[in-house]
Amino acid sequence: MMREMSKEKVYIIPCSGIGKVFGSIGRETAYIVVDELSKGKSALECLPLIVKGKKEVIDMLKLNKVIAIDGCPLKCSYNNLMENVGKVDAQFMTTDIVKENRDLRPESSIIPIGERTKKLSKKLAKKVAQKVDELLK
Amino acid sequence: MKVRKKVGIIACSGEELLGGTLSRAAARIVVENLRPQETIILCAPLFAAGGLERHGGQEERNFAKEHPTITIEGCEEECAKIAVDKYSGPPTATFYIKEFIDAHPELKPVSREDLGEEGMKLAEIVAEKIAKKVDELFIS
Repeated sequence: MMREMSKEKVYIIPCSGIGKVFGSIGRETAYIVVDELSKGKSALECLPLIVKGKKEVIDMLKLNKVIAIDGCPLKCSYNNLMENVGKVDAQFMTTDIVKENRDLRPESSIIPIGERTKKLSKKLAKKVAQKVDELLK
Repeated sequence: MKVRKKVGIIACSGEELLGGTLSRAAARIVVENLRPQETIILCAPLFAAGGLERHGGQEERNFAKEHPTITIEGCEEECAKIAVDKYSGPPTATFYIKEFIDAHPELKPVSREDLGEEGMKLAEIVAEKIAKKVDELFIS
């Protein structure tokens, strides 16, 4: 039982938005969490694969904690997780971190993302990483 | 009055894979740089978003029903193609990132997080091919 618990990870699922920079913030945030701040404790999965209903992926998410990061009110990540996995353990909106940091207005460029966009992503990543730790307690 | 045709570009955009990042970059290059007047980006997950109707996101599906669409697949799962096919009809064309990676072994992207110079060059090659397909659709 203890061994099972120690293997538990938190899956970070950003929306796949590529039309606006808010989707880019979500993706960059997820990479910072998985590669740096919560390395080994978190992992990524492709949202399109969840949308498609890939059984192995859905089963794995049901056994672990899941955090949705969305970039617009349509909340593709949250809604698709609820629809296909049946739960979301925590959710974040990238627009919230933008509102909280009016001095860091994100650049419109999506590829590559700008410096202010990177700074916003780092700030959001710290919050997400903190939530990862909470969920694994 | 003749209505100007637009082509919808739908990248799988899968976050976990290098192919997803390449698909996203290629889509942006087409829409921002190569054919900005003729193309528009559509978000893949919106096609099959859970409770989409309840959340008011029907526009992507309707657009794809009425316009030609090109999907870009980052892996063999064909997530974008399947989503478009299911909700809006078969896409007009599908491009597979793996075919480009195999065709250009000299170009090695750095990672899913950062394609690097060679990865961006590869994305540009994919984008050029897609732009040619867009031109074909406008001629036909």
